[in-house]
Amino acid sequence: MSVGEVDLLVAIPSFNNANTIGQTVQVIEESYQQNFIRDRVVILNVDGGSTDHTMDVVASVDGRKAIGRRGLTSLRTVHRVTAQYAKSPSPGMALRTVLATADLLHARSCAIISPTTVSVDTSWIANLLRPAYRQDFDFVAPLYARNKYQGLLARLLLYPMSRAIFGKRVRELYCEEWSFSGRLAMQCLGQDVWNDDAVRARPEAWMGINAICSDLKCCQSFLGPKVLSPVATTQDIVEAVRQTVGNLFWCLENYESQWLNRSGSEPVPTFGPEHEFTEDGRVSNQEKIFELFRTGVTELDSVLASILAPDTYAQIKEISTHAPDKFRFDSELWVKTAYEFAASYHRPGVLTRGHVVQALVPLYRGRMYSFLVEHAESSADEVEADSEALCVEFERQKPYLVQMWKGETQR
Amino acid sequence: MKDMIVQGLQQAYQNLVHMVAEFLPRFVVMLVVILAGLLVAYLLKYGLRALLHLTKLDRLSEETGASRVLRMAALPSMTEVMSRSVFWVTVLGFILVGISVLNIAGLQEQISRLLRLLPEIVVAIVILFLGLVIANFLSRAVLLGAVNAGYASPRLLSWSIRFIIWILAITMATEEVGMARQTVIAAFSIVFGASMLALAIAFGLGGKDLARDFLERNLGDKEKEKAEEPQPL
Repeated sequence: MSVGEVDLLVAIPSFNNANTIGQTVQVIEESYQQNFIRDRVVILNVDGGSTDHTMDVVASVDGRKAIGRRGLTSLRTVHRVTAQYAKSPSPGMALRTVLATADLLHARSCAIISPTTVSVDTSWIANLLRPAYRQDFDFVAPLYARNKYQGLLARLLLYPMSRAIFGKRVRELYCEEWSFSGRLAMQCLGQDVWNDDAVRARPEAWMGINAICSDLKCCQSFLGPKVLSPVATTQDIVEAVRQTVGNLFWCLENYESQWLNRSGSEPVPTFGPEHEFTEDGRVSNQEKIFELFRTGVTELDSVLASILAPDTYAQIKEISTHAPDKFRFDSELWVKTAYEFAASYHRPGVLTRGHVVQALVPLYRGRMYSFLVEHAESSADEVEADSEALCVEFERQKPYLVQMWKGETQR
Repeated sequence: MKDMIVQGLQQAYQNLVHMVAEFLPRFVVMLVVILAGLLVAYLLKYGLRALLHLTKLDRLSEETGASRVLRMAALPSMTEVMSRSVFWVTVLGFILVGISVLNIAGLQEQISRLLRLLPEIVVAIVILFLGLVIANFLSRAVLLGAVNAGYASPRLLSWSIRFIIWILAITMATEEVGMARQTVIAAFSIVFGASMLALAIAFGLGGKDLARDFLERNLGDKEKEKAEEPQPL
């Protein structure tokens, strides 16, 4: 059956998700039935070469006939389309396939949902789609309820740095659930970036930064707690830093004309609470994290010396000699470090850009350990206040990055 | 008898004078050729450098990534590499021409052999250069990977990789120029084999606990290791 034109498209990128994707499809259908009864909708599964019959599950799962809020049930058919974009998974290629489909079907609003997130419910779909569909937003980032130890890479580096540089307070640029307008889809589809590793690995952040830099309308929508399937492989820190920080630095490089003259930051409209923290969660064996930081500083001396300014490097070496309980990696030093890494990525010297990003991992571990020690007993409000202070510090030191970027200050 | 000795000495003296008289002009010519070569080489070097600066070769090299490869091998900019190469090739060429003017038997043959070897020498230099670049890149990648994964002795691992690639590159380069082929291959086999054996013995016997830890960490419960660090995103 021909799908024709659609109003809404929800895509599920998959790779061997036969166990969980059925539930995701059902939730999306239910949400369509409840919240978008008059609209033309489609569910698109883009698969990266699954060998566990994921695509068959998508095609065969029973749709729920849910009753909408007004007691109505949609008579429209919820189309399901499956497509294999490659023999191996690639988030960038998956998104490109989604964008091409959205363009073909003239979709007005699209959302991406990860099949590994088992806490997705019908409200998630509605909260993601509505701002782009009904309120003319172009990029909708999610907000999750978290415990204070979740998403530390975003809290300590990605959010404050992207906020200071691009000037918009979007907390979760690096995410697995987000939505966008058909207009942004078309704009992104036409760009010649799809072979860049940074975009292939984290296309959602590139899309968000692209929207910010194009002065399109961005917002955030609260979804709730994000729970991953027990069988989903959690991403380790090294890979997460490699992908996300590599992507952020790449965006700095490619959008420099848009950010070099921006200063300060402004909030974006937020639907639902801006943040929701719980104080539960714990991190075992924190000393191991500190040990990895200390070993990294010792073993990577020549690498770090070629990236950091002598003064910054000396301070890091000095704090690495402290006892674990006395150790503090303060915000000022951390921001300086992050900016010097970004400048080094811009002018890589003897190192490759990939190596510059990887060399940040031990230092991030140091900052993370410092956070864990400082906030062992902190309340959610204290953690949030500290995060805000870090964001302000990133904004305060931005001229230092601009100077290094333009080659006016030597590292 | 005495006359014969005197006559012999006179003959030797005359031969010497004759040889010196014959050699000196050639030697002077050789010096002139070499000096002229130096002059030409300097002119070429500075001329080429100015020309390459004008054509902004360094910027092009930066954009194409060639400069990064040079930096990885601890070499100067593309302009500098090219102008210095032209300088030394010119100097070497004039020295060889100058030496050939001396007309010393045997030396001529060696020079022509050297000239015949020139393509192989260039290839050998390219092999060494690539070896240097690859060794630097891989050893740094191993160092970063090992440090980030928390392996013991990351520098030792990194240096082992660098050493093995160097040995391999040197062996290939000497093989290319045909220098003591059998000896070099035998030396490489011995060094490589010995390194592997030493590692095997050290890792298997001396460091059996370490080996157990290593295997447990890599083949064992990986999720347990990862769980030590909070979810990054």
